[in-house]
Amino acid sequence: MKKMMLRSLVLLLLLLSAAAVPVFAGAAAEPAEPEAVTFSLWTQEGESEGVYQWIEALADNYMAADPNVTIEVVRKDTEALREDFQTASLAGDPPELLWTVGDQAGPFTAAGLIRPVDDLYDVSKFVESVVMDGNTYAVPISAGNHLMLLYNKDLVSKAPETTDEFIAAAKAATKGDTFGLVYNMTEPFWLVPWLGGFGGKVFAEDGLTPTLNTQAMIDTLQFLHDLKFKHAVTPIESDYATMDTLFKEGKAAMLINGDWSLSDYAGVLGDKLGVARLPKVTATGKYPAPYTAGKYFMVAEGVEGPVLEAIEGFIGYVTSADIQNEMLETFKRLPGLLSGLNAPAITVDPILKGSASQLAVGTPQPTVVEMRANWDAMKPEMNAVLSGTTSPADAAANMQSAAEAGVRALQ
Amino acid sequence: MGALTAQIVRSSLSEVLGTIFAVAAGIVVLELVLYVILKRKLQWRFSLPIMLVSPALIGLLLLVLYPILYNILLSFSNMSLRRFTVERGLTYGFAEAWNNLKIIFSEPVLKQQKFFPVLFRTFLWTFIQVFFHVTIGMMIALLLNRPMKLRGFYRTLLLFPWAIPQIIAVLAWRGEFNYQYGLFNLLIQKFGGQSINWMSDPFWNYVAINLTNIWLGVPFMTVILLGGLQSIDPSYYEAAEMDGAGKLMGFRLITIPLMKPITTPAIILGVIWTFNQFNVPYFINQFELETSDILVTALFRAAFEYNRYGFASMFALIIFIILLGFSLAYIKITKFSFGFDKAGGGTPLQAVGE
Repeated sequence: MKKMMLRSLVLLLLLLSAAAVPVFAGAAAEPAEPEAVTFSLWTQEGESEGVYQWIEALADNYMAADPNVTIEVVRKDTEALREDFQTASLAGDPPELLWTVGDQAGPFTAAGLIRPVDDLYDVSKFVESVVMDGNTYAVPISAGNHLMLLYNKDLVSKAPETTDEFIAAAKAATKGDTFGLVYNMTEPFWLVPWLGGFGGKVFAEDGLTPTLNTQAMIDTLQFLHDLKFKHAVTPIESDYATMDTLFKEGKAAMLINGDWSLSDYAGVLGDKLGVARLPKVTATGKYPAPYTAGKYFMVAEGVEGPVLEAIEGFIGYVTSADIQNEMLETFKRLPGLLSGLNAPAITVDPILKGSASQLAVGTPQPTVVEMRANWDAMKPEMNAVLSGTTSPADAAANMQSAAEAGVRALQ
Repeated sequence: MGALTAQIVRSSLSEVLGTIFAVAAGIVVLELVLYVILKRKLQWRFSLPIMLVSPALIGLLLLVLYPILYNILLSFSNMSLRRFTVERGLTYGFAEAWNNLKIIFSEPVLKQQKFFPVLFRTFLWTFIQVFFHVTIGMMIALLLNRPMKLRGFYRTLLLFPWAIPQIIAVLAWRGEFNYQYGLFNLLIQKFGGQSINWMSDPFWNYVAINLTNIWLGVPFMTVILLGGLQSIDPSYYEAAEMDGAGKLMGFRLITIPLMKPITTPAIILGVIWTFNQFNVPYFINQFELETSDILVTALFRAAFEYNRYGFASMFALIIFIILLGFSLAYIKITKFSFGFDKAGGGTPLQAVGE
């Protein structure tokens, strides 16, 4: 009995090791071929707009052209991508390449998780990228991610030039269950363009110290407050889904949304869709300055050798003029390649023309980690002003103290 | 979706199979070692049970104990985004732990609010929830614990909130709290009331969160309590009735004491789950109102939005200690016994006897 048990255990061990040989041998054989490389690409592009499918097709094309390279494309939500990349890096097994939003470069560089990419592309041929301590940390894929004014030509004949015209047009269009203006009233990303229009910035010159308790912020909050309470042109509460639905159903004359949504609305509204710059703030004579960021490639720290070469090849392919043009035409996204911004398509297509015109007055979104403290400080106070529970002056003061506490927490 | 080519299948299998073989080989080696030591050398009579249990035991240790130990280790560190690795300034020690502790009790754990207001709100939240879960759950359980038509159907219906993935249910509820199109405001308007700012008003947002979680939590309590009620022998009630006891007296003197072995663990679990309920307060609070955050949502923001890993681990440890303290105190006060000791509490009758 005892002997049998021992024998069967030893036999099991032998069987297992025999069966495991081809598996481990297969794994070991791979690097033996000098050029066969595999890398993972994580992206936060969505499936509903078709961008994720497009990335998969790009990877397939690249793998077909270079059979030694295998690219594994993985989709994650934006926040999940950031958290998972941090966790995977901590565990020592991060994906080699990311296709994601620019502001994530802030936390990634702070923790030393991504490498400089100056040697992977020609910086001079592309729009401004994420530069820290003299190094570039991201390769631009698309430029934009900026908010702009979209309008339904059935309800508003012409895009307003100033905020006075804007308010008048919104009031004229507000009837029954139709609103003059809808925007995402829950996110401060929709507040910052106006802050720029009123002459404010969220950081001082050093790019690190929050400057939220300013007259410009108070004016901005008052402006948003008035749109809802004085002029009554917006819904009482509106998040992204609400504004999106109202605009698509023709129940909103004007909408503030980003370039990522353009192809979607063009499909729903067709010729009725108008795209323009956000109107100049009458009081200051300045244009609102939405944040611009776009999408970028980032390369994990420690990637080198043949894998880095394969990544460089793939980056070169995606940022080539042809592919950049394809992205522009299919998804109405402005390219990161400077020469692509002069493409005839942009000047001919009214939607792209409006988007490019807005991009021209945009301001690069801060990528420093401290921006997290600013976002978190602005969000609840913006909501408090829009629900009428806090005055703009109190909200601005609260924002500042919350942002300072947040910056301390990040130290 | 890309086509499932032979190459993809092969590469995926080689990744998975390697791990499986490694685990299987590890188990066999472990068993061999145990066999040789325990059975051959020591001739211990428990060697077979130990051999059978050990793979599962080691798996559990890896999956349960390791994260807890790692959390404790992190709470003794200053780890944050800027101090991510030892090369970048990550250090461990008692000074770091003390510093984390000091920050938790002296500085805001959220944006503006400090630890104790958030703790108080968490207690209030837990109390409201468990109170309603138990009272409503008991009422429904009593209703269902008697002969009626379609009883099985009602019981199935009751499990609906449970059957839906929690996050989907919570997001659906959030939609119903929409100012313009949500069910609640439409109902309020229908009866001539004033629409409520469920999302932006701190008080009503707290109410919204509570309503959602009551809906989510009652079915569990009902099912547990119903199971308990069914185990009570009806002859007790008959005897009590003969002695002239009314329904209420029967409930107070028979049902409640006999239910104690069921209600005590159910309440302890309910408190722990509610205290640590993340989905409802996090997702219903779309505007990130600080007034609707409880300890675990504050913890989440610290760990994953501000990347204060050391601080957040210490924070988690404190929440653990609070819950452990509560559970021990509750067990002591109710004189509850898990039935491990030979004397106590295995059957409902023994519970009454105590």
